[in-house]
Amino acid sequence: MTTNSGDKGTRNLVIIMVSFIVIVGVVFSIISNRSNSTAQVPAAVSEAEGYGIVLNPSATPKIDVYIDYQCPACRAFEIINGGYLNEVIAQNKAKVVYHPMTFIGPESILAANAAACAADESKFVDMNLALFQNQPNAENSGVWQSEALVALGKSVGIKSNSFEKCVNDGTYVKWTNNVAVESGKANVNSTPTIFINGKEMDRKTEYGDPVKFKAALAAAGVK
Amino acid sequence: MLDKFNKYQPWLTLLARIILGGVLLVAGGLKVGNLQKSAMAVRAYELLPIPIANFLGYTLPWIEIGVGLLLILGVAVKINGVIGAFTMLVFIVAIAQAWARGLSIDCGCFGGGGSVDPEDTKYLSEIIRDLGLLLLGIYLYYYPKGRIALDK
Repeated sequence: MTTNSGDKGTRNLVIIMVSFIVIVGVVFSIISNRSNSTAQVPAAVSEAEGYGIVLNPSATPKIDVYIDYQCPACRAFEIINGGYLNEVIAQNKAKVVYHPMTFIGPESILAANAAACAADESKFVDMNLALFQNQPNAENSGVWQSEALVALGKSVGIKSNSFEKCVNDGTYVKWTNNVAVESGKANVNSTPTIFINGKEMDRKTEYGDPVKFKAALAAAGVK
Repeated sequence: MLDKFNKYQPWLTLLARIILGGVLLVAGGLKVGNLQKSAMAVRAYELLPIPIANFLGYTLPWIEIGVGLLLILGVAVKINGVIGAFTMLVFIVAIAQAWARGLSIDCGCFGGGGSVDPEDTKYLSEIIRDLGLLLLGIYLYYYPKGRIALDK
């Protein structure tokens, strides 16, 4: 039998321990969910554009694309509108900023890192497409590891050792957290989300219809 | 009748603690592993300024874990019952306003969250569940003394 004061001691100890867990957790969570200005970023990334990968930096209008490489709706968007969007990029008709978000989990981070590595090889658009075309059926299923991502890069013609090293080292893993934090500040709550000149497209009609998507871009000045 | 209640009340308190505490612990535990998503879920309610919504998304799961643990262990049951009930009240208001405004979101109660297709919303069942938990919290405020607790 413990004494009454002994029980009280245990009770207070539990309160202190639980409070400690909560406080440490809160502090850790707030600190780790801030942009880290020392994170290594790909050359095409602009801090001013929410750490997005910027294609055609001097063109107008501006199209922001928020995606997660494991998100099925993003895959559908890429298949429906990616062809036209990639044409717009290739013809320098708009500044397009990609924000690879990673809230679906670890393999989203690895895929976003690989896409960033591809950006350094000027192969972002091809890698972006290849990632969606080869999206695994299940989230975080173990398919997207370094080896598979390097092979995917090779399949779109990236043969350099620097790409392989970048994927294997996870060079831009910390950068993906910056993208996540800045996407949060931009109030992006689902993927895909597309902004044209800072204004969100109509999710209900323009995302899934290539004609309406094209018309929305044309209305913003994409000729 | 009252005698019967007096006899079973400590066990009912234990049960209420385990259910409310267990739900909070699981809900918090499922969210701490993906705080980006948790913050996204809070933002999707479109109720708070973005920085505050993000802050809440990062901190709320830890508070749920803390309150859940204390309820299960039977520590400071009265105050944690109130905190639990108040949290549920806030959730109910937030879900109800999202419903009334025609937003299509998942409550994000157990991870997940953010925008969903309109046909995938389940506001009513979420509100009923939280209402039940709210009542358990109120019960614990009035009857904090129960079995197998560190509180004496």
